[in-house]
Amino acid sequence: MSTVHVLGTGAIPFRKYPEKTLAEIGWPALREAMLEAGVRADDINAVYCGTALGGMLAGQRVAKALGISGMAIVNVENACSSSSSALAQAWMAVKSGACDIVAVIGVEKLTKFGGGTLPLEREDWEVNQGMVMPALYAMRAKRYMHEFGLTEAQLAQVSVKAHDHGALNPNAQIQKRVTLEEVMASRMVAEPFTLWHCCPTGDGAAALIIGSEKAARKFGKGRVRIAASEVTSGKYTNGYRDMTFPELTVRGAHEAYEMAGIGASDIDVAEIHDAFTIAELMYYEAFGLCERGGAYDLLASGATSLGGRVPVNPSGGLLSRGHPVGATGAVQAVEIVRQLEGRAGKHQVEGAKVGLTHATGGGIAGFDHGACSIHVFTL
Amino acid sequence: MSGQKDEAAEGPRFVDPELVALQGGRLQLKGGCCKSCGALSFPKGQVCTQCLSLEIDDKILSGEGELYSYSRVHMAPKGWDVPYTVGYVDLAEGIRIFAHIDESASPVQIGGRVWLGEGRVGTAPDGAILKSYLFATVAGGRT
Repeated sequence: MSTVHVLGTGAIPFRKYPEKTLAEIGWPALREAMLEAGVRADDINAVYCGTALGGMLAGQRVAKALGISGMAIVNVENACSSSSSALAQAWMAVKSGACDIVAVIGVEKLTKFGGGTLPLEREDWEVNQGMVMPALYAMRAKRYMHEFGLTEAQLAQVSVKAHDHGALNPNAQIQKRVTLEEVMASRMVAEPFTLWHCCPTGDGAAALIIGSEKAARKFGKGRVRIAASEVTSGKYTNGYRDMTFPELTVRGAHEAYEMAGIGASDIDVAEIHDAFTIAELMYYEAFGLCERGGAYDLLASGATSLGGRVPVNPSGGLLSRGHPVGATGAVQAVEIVRQLEGRAGKHQVEGAKVGLTHATGGGIAGFDHGACSIHVFTL
Repeated sequence: MSGQKDEAAEGPRFVDPELVALQGGRLQLKGGCCKSCGALSFPKGQVCTQCLSLEIDDKILSGEGELYSYSRVHMAPKGWDVPYTVGYVDLAEGIRIFAHIDESASPVQIGGRVWLGEGRVGTAPDGAILKSYLFATVAGGRT
């Protein structure tokens, strides 16, 4: 089995592009990835495109703009994990030897829905009773605060950190620092979350060209290797669940660490799924970056800020870079690859050699989350 | 809020009448119990997730529970009466129910007991009042 290498990356600035089509949002990212890799359309054996709400044949719509057609083009929908799941499919295609060079796209246009909370599937009985994504995470936050004594002001500091990072990232949707007072005084969405506790909705796209060891040699690219690729789903129950410790991320992290042959202490930089402030804290614990209940202390110590021991979400994360649902997994991967290659610019994590991405989501009754995908990148 | 005229014309409707049953004039939550293996479900399953049996009996669930967590929602899709409080209520039989929470008697508290009731939760596009099952706190707070 081949090792799997990243030959090229592309990402567009995450913004609101109501005037553009999904294909127009997507192709510039894929073009950049192809130019970085030095590959042409004919070199690509397969395309995996992740989008949650982009509609039918999104991958074909993006690929044809660049003359890419005639190979397998597969569209992957897995809520917030759509393009990270697409990356996992691509990884498997290369790892197995079935393909030498595969393109991965993550693309989403949320501005087509207007504004407000993400449209969820009304067929789900909890959604039908008034569940919205902010409320789901807010209930996690309330329970975590109850069990571990976390305060609203402490929780709000996650947002301050995210926007400190995002202010340094020209591709971030929000490039504005916020103060603790601004976070706490902004409009209430779902208690304890004000607007600044929630990721913005917007549009975005990112892409990667990945390939085998042979392809990496041929094109003289691919210093960064994908050492682990993991997709899992939540475990269904209509009974009790511990909402402060996301079971599927805990399980996925163990599996990914094992596959990569690393432990939590080896991680130099991570992009994790901070859709709402509480998520970042819970995922510190789920990934073993700290003990249960120790997440706020880790944040407050500065360890997860730029310059700290293990910077988390140097891009600004979902809270600041933005979260066009299906594009998130791919842009996290682009970010980590560029971090390991030392070309992340103002938000560079110096000397990072091992990086992690994590996209999880999907509000569905009976699950912590519908899907979770984790990747480990090494230099 | 909708106009009085529409409400009078339409009458209140349940968001999902399949989730509830009337027993002795009182609203109850209707789950399922697998005839073959006894596994409980809510909402009542069409197929048992434990043994794949298709024979599921109605099972009236208990009308009180413990609040696991909650949030007051201030931004929601059109149709819901914002702000509203939602929560997860743990029933003694091991089922967790997502529900609107009526905290008019006393503010909700995690770990507090709540009782099944019904009430207005929103307004349909045609102006009809939307009702649902909900769990309510009691006067005096935590019991």
